[in-house]
Amino acid sequence: MNCQEMTRQDCIRVLNREREIELEPLRQSELVVIGGTGFVGTWIAEMVAALNDEYQFGIKLHLLSRNVEQFSNHAPHLARRLDIQLIKSDVRQSERIPMNADWVIHAAANPDVRTHASKPIDTASVIVDGTMSVVRTAERLGQLRKLLYLSSGLVTGSQSQSLNSLPENAKGAPAPDASFVYANAKRFAETLCSAARAQSRVPALVARPFSFIGPYQSLDTPWAQTTFLSDALHGYPVRLQGDGLVIRSYLYGSDAAYWFLRILTAGDSGDVVNVGSPVGVSLQDLAKLVAQNFKPSPDIIFNTAPRKLGPSSHFLPDISHAQNRYGLSVFTGLNEAVKLTALWHQKQNTQEKFSG
Amino acid sequence: MVDNREIIISDPTLRDGNHAVSHQLSAEQIAAYCKAADNAGVTVVEVGHGNGLGASSLQLGEAKTPDHLALMTARKNLKKSKLGIHVIPGFATIERDLKPALELGVDIVRVAAHCSEADICDRHISFARSQGVEVWGCLMMSHMISPALLLEQARKMESYGAEGVVFMDSSGHYVPEDVRQRVELLVAELSIEIGFHGHNNLGLAIANSIAAAEAGATLIDGTARGFGAGAGNTQLEVLVPVLERLGYNTGIDLYKVLDAADLAEETLMKEMPSIRSNSVVSGLAGVFSGFMKPVARIAKEFKVDPRDVYFELGRRNIVAGQEDIILEVAKELAQRAIKREQLN
Repeated sequence: MNCQEMTRQDCIRVLNREREIELEPLRQSELVVIGGTGFVGTWIAEMVAALNDEYQFGIKLHLLSRNVEQFSNHAPHLARRLDIQLIKSDVRQSERIPMNADWVIHAAANPDVRTHASKPIDTASVIVDGTMSVVRTAERLGQLRKLLYLSSGLVTGSQSQSLNSLPENAKGAPAPDASFVYANAKRFAETLCSAARAQSRVPALVARPFSFIGPYQSLDTPWAQTTFLSDALHGYPVRLQGDGLVIRSYLYGSDAAYWFLRILTAGDSGDVVNVGSPVGVSLQDLAKLVAQNFKPSPDIIFNTAPRKLGPSSHFLPDISHAQNRYGLSVFTGLNEAVKLTALWHQKQNTQEKFSG
Repeated sequence: MVDNREIIISDPTLRDGNHAVSHQLSAEQIAAYCKAADNAGVTVVEVGHGNGLGASSLQLGEAKTPDHLALMTARKNLKKSKLGIHVIPGFATIERDLKPALELGVDIVRVAAHCSEADICDRHISFARSQGVEVWGCLMMSHMISPALLLEQARKMESYGAEGVVFMDSSGHYVPEDVRQRVELLVAELSIEIGFHGHNNLGLAIANSIAAAEAGATLIDGTARGFGAGAGNTQLEVLVPVLERLGYNTGIDLYKVLDAADLAEETLMKEMPSIRSNSVVSGLAGVFSGFMKPVARIAKEFKVDPRDVYFELGRRNIVAGQEDIILEVAKELAQRAIKREQLN
């Protein structure tokens, strides 16, 4: 099975058991994804392609992005489809959103923490000015049924020691300084969506993504899961920082895409929904899991001097609202998610080598 | 007493010490010291031009031993110790300098920037991480910014992928409370290792390093006999037993590190680092320790008091790489003196 076939199988596995029926409102509609060529956008495109090919949904998908060329490179099989239109556009000038859009998912933001650190003003501008532009345009979309804003699990600040997981109504906020510009900008963008609902009755709702894993995630980003995968893929030892007991959770790409489409189509305007896996894993165990999926299995080493980290090292979503209101759950367990991701990257490497 | 907490000792004798001999360490000297440090169990041995990889130049001083030879020699003689390099983006480029250095077997890349310019390290840190080596960020002249701004810059390095951040007291300006305050903040707010690199201008390098360890730093720099720029660095063979006596574990053999220090004194140093009057002044003024030699030379040439030069450089917030300004300052001071004489 090649990479393309693998991601299609991932989508089919999620849509099986008649889950596609939950997405019926998408049939014969026009879906716009702003910031649609990143990890989330690419997975939504995969899911839409599967819905169209396997279930004849007839969705017309418009992906707006500043990097359409990059999308054509990393997902050529999607870029050349007739039911997917790529539109080069900066989110801050969102007048290029097709006016007959039924559904809009606003996913535009640069998730790279390096950019947040080096260019906090640009980071804030893309999120805040971008969302302002999107809601202004949404006011003029005559057919718009729902606007889903992809915010961040970080908007309520770090997880307090007293909580096992972060619910949507957690009290708290990130500190108001440049180091937390991404979370603060996302928080304000949520406010803009709420304001658009209050002032112009834009049917907006919010999804708060936590951590994801899967094909299409750039291994160049300095997150734990991508760093472990990158090290293992290159045959380097997998290095852990601190005591390795930091707890995170990871939702697989195809699961996330389904969750977003389900929340978009079934959600009430004004709703806020966490999107992520509730199953925590220590980074030490994640590293072991990654290592198991490579041959030869890389060594796992603690770099420098391990020190115990504080309680803020837990960051898990409470997904009871997603489960109870939308019937959502984790379809791809972590072991499977890591296995599939590792395999996809290994195949991708091989494919790239053979294609020169 | 602490309970056997591990401290990683990084030894820049063959890098910071190169400042003290105008970057004239030879391959033979590098080989001998590497062997001794390795034998003592020093965790990281840093090698190179005083200003790091790719810095050998007319302006900063030409190194006797080119980078590739220095690294090849060190690699050959380090069996257990990790080989570290100091990399200042701008002096060191990825293609010309960093790639070949990694190919020679460097284990730890310390990407350094002036304390307020962590941004310049993004690409170098990312590249080194992508090559599977361990990467620390270093913030030089850290006394020039507040603890809050230091945290902001350290956060940037963490976000670029640095696995540790070392803040450097490049001018030997700190007292222990300054260090403690900074380490506590960084440890509380970051999830990577925190380190300290001291200079001994005010005779406080050991005390400052101990304060750093007590506040939670796990990466401490020390050089044999304190061999380094200006008044020298934290003295390695003193630091190690003091840490061990306080209950920390460095993994370094006392007798062998004392032997390595003796060897360094005999074979590397033209003169022992000492706290001279000018060192005290440069520490108080917060001027980079590496300016000691050029300030002495230029002050003599212009017949001005080097102490006045230091305080003026400190007032202007001059940093490493701005050596040209020493000349400008000395010239201005000389002109002012002439004017004063004329008025009198």
